[in-house]
Amino acid sequence: MSKPGPKPRRDVNSRRVLDEAARRRRARRALEALEQDNFHDDPHGDLVMSKKAPKFSDKLEVRGGGRKKKQKHSAEYYKLKYRKTFNQLVEEAQLSHPDPPNYLSAQAEPSNLPERHFCAVCGFPSNYTCIQCGTRYCCVRCLGTHQDTRCLKWTA
Amino acid sequence: MIDKAYILDNGGFTAKVGMSSAKPRVIPNSVMKAKSERRRPFIADQVEECRDASGLFYILPFQKGYLVNWDIQKTIWDHIFGKDCCPVNFNETPLIVTEPYFNFPSIQEAMTEIFFEEYECQSLLRINAGDLSNYHYTSNNPGTLACMVVDVGYSFSHVTPYIKGKKRREGIKRIDVGGKALTNHLKDIISYRQLHVMDETYVINQVKEDSCFVSLDFMADMEVARKRGNDNTIVRDYVLPDFTSIRRGFLRTLEETSKSTDGEQTLRMNNERFAVPEILFQPSDLGVQQMGVAEAIVSSINSCPKETQPHLYSNIVVTGGCSLFPNFQKRLLQDVRKLAPDEFNVRVTLPENPLTYAWEGGALLSKHPEFYSFVVTKEEYEEEGLHICYERFDV
Ligand SMILES: Nc1ncnc2c1ncn2[C@@H]1O[C@H](COP(=O)(O)OP(=O)(O)OP(=O)(O)O)[C@@H](O)[C@H]1O
Ligand SMILES: [Mg+2]
Ligand SMILES: [Zn+2]
Ligand SMILES: [Zn+2]
Repeated sequence: MSKPGPKPRRDVNSRRVLDEAARRRRARRALEALEQDNFHDDPHGDLVMSKKAPKFSDKLEVRGGGRKKKQKHSAEYYKLKYRKTFNQLVEEAQLSHPDPPNYLSAQAEPSNLPERHFCAVCGFPSNYTCIQCGTRYCCVRCLGTHQDTRCLKWTA
Repeated sequence: MIDKAYILDNGGFTAKVGMSSAKPRVIPNSVMKAKSERRRPFIADQVEECRDASGLFYILPFQKGYLVNWDIQKTIWDHIFGKDCCPVNFNETPLIVTEPYFNFPSIQEAMTEIFFEEYECQSLLRINAGDLSNYHYTSNNPGTLACMVVDVGYSFSHVTPYIKGKKRREGIKRIDVGGKALTNHLKDIISYRQLHVMDETYVINQVKEDSCFVSLDFMADMEVARKRGNDNTIVRDYVLPDFTSIRRGFLRTLEETSKSTDGEQTLRMNNERFAVPEILFQPSDLGVQQMGVAEAIVSSINSCPKETQPHLYSNIVVTGGCSLFPNFQKRLLQDVRKLAPDEFNVRVTLPENPLTYAWEGGALLSKHPEFYSFVVTKEEYEEEGLHICYERFDV
């Protein structure tokens, strides 16, 4: 797939139109972004961790030491022992407790209220949909901004 | 009866923590790293020592409301339980700790292990924060037969019916929107419309808390926000912190909005002020295909036995940080009133401190004459293992 050209406001007919699958991917990515903790890199990411070297050894010490009770575990021990992703936890729980009520069954059902649409640019109620990508806009001015910025730039 | 207990309402964003005999502290449940301070991370309340909080990087123990990063959580707990924060001796003080609804078995197992083996608790009660809120509510309103606990927190929101003190698990509804999604959404729209703030979760979270409110008439407020000049009574400038002379940003008054700024960096807050919290009432505004809080309450009550429904409608209590948005309670009442059958009386209580309401419920519960029968002791755990915890704790 070709990347959208940098030139704004090309003839409408020459614009690529995002297909259904790509629109869904875009929507899903927007939802995932709501869960994200950070959008930038760890500012200390380039630092080399110095004093916390013996990560596995505290665990070994615990196992081999015999006096299990008094030994305190390191943070790393718990990380290793209970390393499970959120999705693994959900799957595991579904297997052990498949019958509702459970985490999955508890999610609120779809709303009965009519869906509302807002202009992606200014946030006011919108009546129009961008032909290329399906984003909502409210007026010619906002459409222009949208086409110059986000329209197809987030390649799907 | 016990003397005192240590209560930890361990949320995805904040830990509400302290001895039942004192006031709780609200502490960030995270480790943060600053661009300006490269020698160390800030653990929990240490962030107060951070002079320049721009570009703060968050490391959170929770994901989607559940505890998954145990090394981070242990680092934070070690600090919280230590002498510089909220010291405790679990050898002599029982612990009440909260967990989310439908907490996963392997997290429950880890909680049990870490508190009995690592922190050497003598007695432990693991419980849902909502159970504590329900206990708080029924203690304040003796004779209440049912209670609808609404928790609008960080990772998600829940509505949970309690009938005669017992949680009705089939009625629990989770909405996957809470304060985190609201802040992330606000970051996104400000970055698109005005100024790149994607790296400024800490600051924009404060912008959200300082400037947003819940609309009582959404479409009418949209029309007001469209107006220019004096007719727009919603628009405000938010003065951003610069971390030299302004440590925390603030919302200008209507009169001062649009004043020229000497060196102050501002954000223009207009329909963002109410469109952001609106998502709690209509998640589909953001593409989340779930009911909002009011609808979920009605749907949950509808799933409960007929005879309990009037009691649930008249005993709705809201907790969690997002209920602090101005007008949250009014709007919730208004929307539930509209959806509920006419013959029912609808009442929504906003506690004095919705953030610590569950914690305070824990403090009350620790004074229950039979409190000792709710906990699992270290001896019991050592004799019977995890099994006794599953039997006694209903999380
Ligand atoms: N005054 C306020 N106005 C609006 N929102 C607020 C206010 N104070 C706190 N919040 C928001 O409330 C959320 C935290 O609420 P709370 O402490 O109840 O959540 P938590 O218990 O940590 O999370 P959870 O229960 O979801 O795991 C944050 O998103 C925070 O921005
Ligand atoms: Mg909470
Ligand atoms: Zn627009
Ligand atoms: Zn478009």
